[in-house]
Amino acid sequence: MNQPPNSLQDIKGEQEAVSPKEHVIQVENLVNRFGAQVVHNNLCMNVRRDETLGLVGGSGAGKSVLLRSILGLHDFNSGSIRVLGKEIRYRKPGPYKHWGVLFQGGALLSGLTVRENVELPMVLHSNMSPELRHELAYLKIFMTGLNVEAADKYPSQLSGGMRKRASLARAMALDPKVLFLDEPTAGLDPIAATDFDNLLNYLQDNLDLTIVMVTHDLDSLFNVCERVAVLVDGGVVIDTLDKLVKNPHPWIQKYFGDKRAVIAREALGPGRLQPYKRRSE
Amino acid sequence: MSDYLTIDSNDGVLTIGIMNDWLFPNVARLQAAIDPIPPGENSQVVFACHGLHDFDLAGAWVLYRKSLDLQEEGVETEFVGFKAAHFKFLQHVIDVAADSEAVPDYHEKLRRPNAVEQGIEQLGQVTTRGFESFGFISRSIVDGMKRPTKLVIGETIRQIHETGVKAIPIVMVVCFLMGIVLAYQSAGQLEKFGVTIYVVDLVSNSVFREIGVLLAAIMVAGRSGSAFAAALGTMKLNEEVDALQVMGLNPNQILIIPRVLGLVIAMPLLTVFADLAGLAGGAAISILALDISPVQFIERVAMSTRPMDMAVGFIKAPVFALLIAATGTLRGMEVQGSAEELGRLTTVAVVQSIFLIIIFDAFFTILFSRLGI
Repeated sequence: MNQPPNSLQDIKGEQEAVSPKEHVIQVENLVNRFGAQVVHNNLCMNVRRDETLGLVGGSGAGKSVLLRSILGLHDFNSGSIRVLGKEIRYRKPGPYKHWGVLFQGGALLSGLTVRENVELPMVLHSNMSPELRHELAYLKIFMTGLNVEAADKYPSQLSGGMRKRASLARAMALDPKVLFLDEPTAGLDPIAATDFDNLLNYLQDNLDLTIVMVTHDLDSLFNVCERVAVLVDGGVVIDTLDKLVKNPHPWIQKYFGDKRAVIAREALGPGRLQPYKRRSE
Repeated sequence: MSDYLTIDSNDGVLTIGIMNDWLFPNVARLQAAIDPIPPGENSQVVFACHGLHDFDLAGAWVLYRKSLDLQEEGVETEFVGFKAAHFKFLQHVIDVAADSEAVPDYHEKLRRPNAVEQGIEQLGQVTTRGFESFGFISRSIVDGMKRPTKLVIGETIRQIHETGVKAIPIVMVVCFLMGIVLAYQSAGQLEKFGVTIYVVDLVSNSVFREIGVLLAAIMVAGRSGSAFAAALGTMKLNEEVDALQVMGLNPNQILIIPRVLGLVIAMPLLTVFADLAGLAGGAAISILALDISPVQFIERVAMSTRPMDMAVGFIKAPVFALLIAATGTLRGMEVQGSAEELGRLTTVAVVQSIFLIIIFDAFFTILFSRLGI
């Protein structure tokens, strides 16, 4: 086994060609209406490069609609959305080689095994040799903490947590720059959810990833997200958690003043959780 | 050399300069560029990564793999000027995977029983499954009949509407066309003998005894048999069936009985419409093309058709309905796990119910002819 040189780790800083504050996702004046009900009223939002943004809001505040608009799955009424510099239009291909999506239910194709699911985007968007494709697929599957046995199973044979991991592996198949997660920890037990949070932190620390996640899980919000976007009154308030907690808006106060939020925050101590420590270190 | 690397050999050290973007989209080209490089006489290979612009896991893997290959050939490898994060990450992934890796037993998969063994096993499985299905559906029906609730009645009426009333137009159109075809085809033959009037006998007899009910059943199997399987299958996937169960409602009673009962009631009624449409098709051709007057046609039908002929058709209708509903609901309840399964079982439901209808029709034909009906 060769040992990659540790002393050269610092080179990473020099190679950062673009400023870290660069906006990967730009949403401008987004309007979404359902009949008389206005869900988004001139919503503007920017997501910075390499950050993890949490998306929260009450039921019906338009979290899913916003996510679906950004993914080009919802026909928004007006406004403009750009992801990685590409204009998003309804049902038109977006920057699909550079983003990965983890849908709430996993959305793994049920007729294919986990490995085939992960290989699917690779088959579609690359002409690499089958051998290399298998290897990369296994790499992605291992990366999300699944083992060889799970790789050859069908989605219906997996548990909920494993399905989420497999789905994450598929979302990561093309080494995307942006990862969208829709309620990644919903339906997982607290241990599995914490594992999943750690996995996300781990991936984010090691790969240059921008993560946008819709979540209701306060623990994972405090564990994973650097900034949080709160959807209120048809608009959005984006800030770091420390500052959001002090935001005077009644809904935000209620959300973060809630008993469960307080517990989650106290469990975390002041500031953000220190990055996930890898097992090997 | 290539856009992605340079090669330089010096003092037994082969230096491979890595340049530009080593990213997923280029990965096929990267592999093509780096894989064929032989270590030659060199005992050490240095990957110089100073020129590397952007790098992701796929690129890292290609590079890593090459270094592993070289190491296997006994060549030392070294990385210089490297953005280490990806590589350490890669190493970690592989270490963790190696820890937990259960080596799959491929030999197990390769050992397949021979064709005869498989055939016998499948025959056995099909037989037991057939009996199981029969038992399951009978039990469900008996189970569902116990203490019926008000829900069942409402749902049954809805099913009659859904599977019977809504099917009237399509069944009538198909039977009307079939009547035309029958009359036209038989007229060609019977004209040779100068007994064109027997076209009426032929059409009325075949429509009442066979065609009406058979076509109606086949149409219903395609329409409602598939709908039953798909609806119940989706409900199973959504855990709706389980939800009914835990709410103290009997899924057999709520889901299977109304469908079976509804179709058993609707089918004979649908057959009436089918018969009328088939007769109308025959009449249209007789009157328009064969110079048989409407009065003559009606007289002839009345003369040639015994009440027993009609009864033969109507006896079959509820039996066919039972076959369709039972197959459809049963296959629907069998759905487990995936959408793929749902599609497969819906197809199976339709194919099997049409197959069963035709088998039972043949059986009835023989039975009735033995009984002299």
